[in-house]
Amino acid sequence: MKIEFRGLEENRAQILIEDADPAFVNALRRTLLADVPKMAIEDVEFHLGPIRGEDGEEYESVTPLFDEIIAHRLGLVPIPTDLELFVPRDRCESCEGEGCTNCTIMYSLNQKGPGTVFSKDLKPIGDLHFAPVEPDIPIVKLGEGQAVLIYSTAILGTGHQHAKWQAVQAVAYKYYPILEFDPKDKALDESVANVCPVNILEAGDGGFRVTDIEKCTLCKLCEEKSEGRIKVKGDPTRFLFHFETDGSLTAHDVLLKGLEILQEKFAGVAENVGALT
Amino acid sequence: MIIPVRCFTCGKVIGSEWQRYLQLLSGGKDAREALDDLRLERYCCRRMILSHVDLIDDVIPFG
Repeated sequence: MKIEFRGLEENRAQILIEDADPAFVNALRRTLLADVPKMAIEDVEFHLGPIRGEDGEEYESVTPLFDEIIAHRLGLVPIPTDLELFVPRDRCESCEGEGCTNCTIMYSLNQKGPGTVFSKDLKPIGDLHFAPVEPDIPIVKLGEGQAVLIYSTAILGTGHQHAKWQAVQAVAYKYYPILEFDPKDKALDESVANVCPVNILEAGDGGFRVTDIEKCTLCKLCEEKSEGRIKVKGDPTRFLFHFETDGSLTAHDVLLKGLEILQEKFAGVAENVGALT
Repeated sequence: MIIPVRCFTCGKVIGSEWQRYLQLLSGGKDAREALDDLRLERYCCRRMILSHVDLIDDVIPFG
């Protein structure tokens, strides 16, 4: 198996996987989606009753959104995750599920209206490295005399518990596209080239050609338009694999962790099979 | 109501793009250019921004 990076950014990756089969690539996709852990806010505590500001003025702990909705929105905010540092709270050895610095990050949110409360107002208690990666996500908008005072706790979880713990978005793969045609065929003209929704076909004096085969979505519109003169096929041993992360983890870290989890799972199977004989 | 934090379909964070989108529009761009500038490629994420109506100001008095 050969893996080649076609584009690796902080938050997104495009990979070419060669000499593989659909079962393997799908296993990797499902592992990234459901089994790679990340931090997300799980417990949210709202202060109820009057809130006194620094100026001595009194605010009501009232917001236009229900507390449940604010808690849900906080859960969806991406929290920077260090997988070397954190363990799941229910399996934490140092605190036995009570919550400590090995398994939780505490945040406070203290804002007074009028104005919009953003994710940057979510202040980590302790290490400032854990401030939310996206500073400009609106959480709620407060009116005159309204205020929020919230304490929340982020813990480690996985995508199959809840989508807020899903480390990747839009994980997908496609077969490597193959277009078969005769470049000198006169019937392949502008009208066929223009039908392509991703604009990768070109008809010119030098004949018919494809500019960027990897952009092809295998939609077969060109096959239809050219009445079969172009054959669109996918190579079932080569895959273009794409995913994005929400910023909690880098694309590179997610992929490494995903492969590590796959490896552990298969090692577990091998161990159990070994015990049978 | 208020802009959702994430795209309903794919889960990409789109809440932070709303203010930038409004800025791009007031800068004279059309919706298509603005969404392209924000790197919202999939139509699931594009519709989150494109079809959003910000009603939060109308409900603040009822808080």
